[in-house]
Amino acid sequence: MTDIRITAYAEALLAIAAAEGEVDRVQDELFQLGQAVQADEQLRTTISDSRLPASRRAQVIEDVLGEGAAPATVAIASMAVSLGRGADLPEISTEMARVSAASVGAVVAEARSAVPLTEDQVSRLAQALTAKLGREVTVRNTVDPTVMGGVVTQIGDEVIDGSIRTRLNQLREAF
Amino acid sequence: MNAILLAAEEGAENAFWLPHDINEVIWGSLAFLIVAALLWKFAKKPGADFFRNRREGIAAGLEAAEASRTGAEADLDSIRSALADSDAEAARILEDARQAADALTAEIAVRADRDIEMVRERAQIDLAATRGQVEADLSGELSRLAFGAAERVVDGTLDDANQQRLIDAYITNVGSQN
Repeated sequence: MTDIRITAYAEALLAIAAAEGEVDRVQDELFQLGQAVQADEQLRTTISDSRLPASRRAQVIEDVLGEGAAPATVAIASMAVSLGRGADLPEISTEMARVSAASVGAVVAEARSAVPLTEDQVSRLAQALTAKLGREVTVRNTVDPTVMGGVVTQIGDEVIDGSIRTRLNQLREAF
Repeated sequence: MNAILLAAEEGAENAFWLPHDINEVIWGSLAFLIVAALLWKFAKKPGADFFRNRREGIAAGLEAAEASRTGAEADLDSIRSALADSDAEAARILEDARQAADALTAEIAVRADRDIEMVRERAQIDLAATRGQVEADLSGELSRLAFGAAERVVDGTLDDANQQRLIDAYITNVGSQN
């Protein structure tokens, strides 16, 4: 899928979420769903399998999101999967965050950590990054066990690495 | 002797040793003188020539024999000289061969020493490289084991409280970079 299509889907789905008045919630839930699809190859294969009926693939998405998910999130994700864009959900959700942030003059920072960040930690990290970069920063947290401890934040091409994994690697190279 | 006695007995009539007829003696002597004179006149020169030619032929044969002998001796001397030269040539060839063999032996010895030195140096380089590789492998293995153990220790100490402390420290560090 080209970047243009990804952006088009992201903008369209973002417009639907805005119409439903749940932009932030939908973005968060789609971002988590995208990370789950990215991490689980079997899930990615299942929701991308065109031989399965669209209703079956949509049912899988509903099961993954759970009953606590916003109806708009379930509807948007199901629509994307029914249209055969299940495998693109990680990119679409990331692009949604970028487009949403860009619409208010902000940038998206992807923070990877071994354990989920609390809302307070996400907020404080966003404030710290905003102060550091001099522009509004929206933080998206991704759980990545390979980080071991600490956080790795990527904003565009810039990476702020504070992970235990990287420190161990640096120590290994120095040894 | 018996014949003389018999003749004496047969002519015992006059007891003379000449024939009875003196004319026979005279004519016989005269004929002899004539024959002798004819021989002297006509046969002397051919005879002398014959003997002179005979002497000259013998002398020429002797001279030819002498020349042959001299030539043979010259040839003998030449052969002897050639033999002596061949002996000297053989000795020179042997000496050259000996010197060449000595030079070749020395060169082979030098080359062998050089080859031995090269092999030794190469072996030392290989040994050093192998030693370095082994040390590097050991160091890498030790490093891998040590960091594997360190990783497990760190992972074991990363409980939720430590994770939160690390995250908070990271956020504080990012904030302090303003």
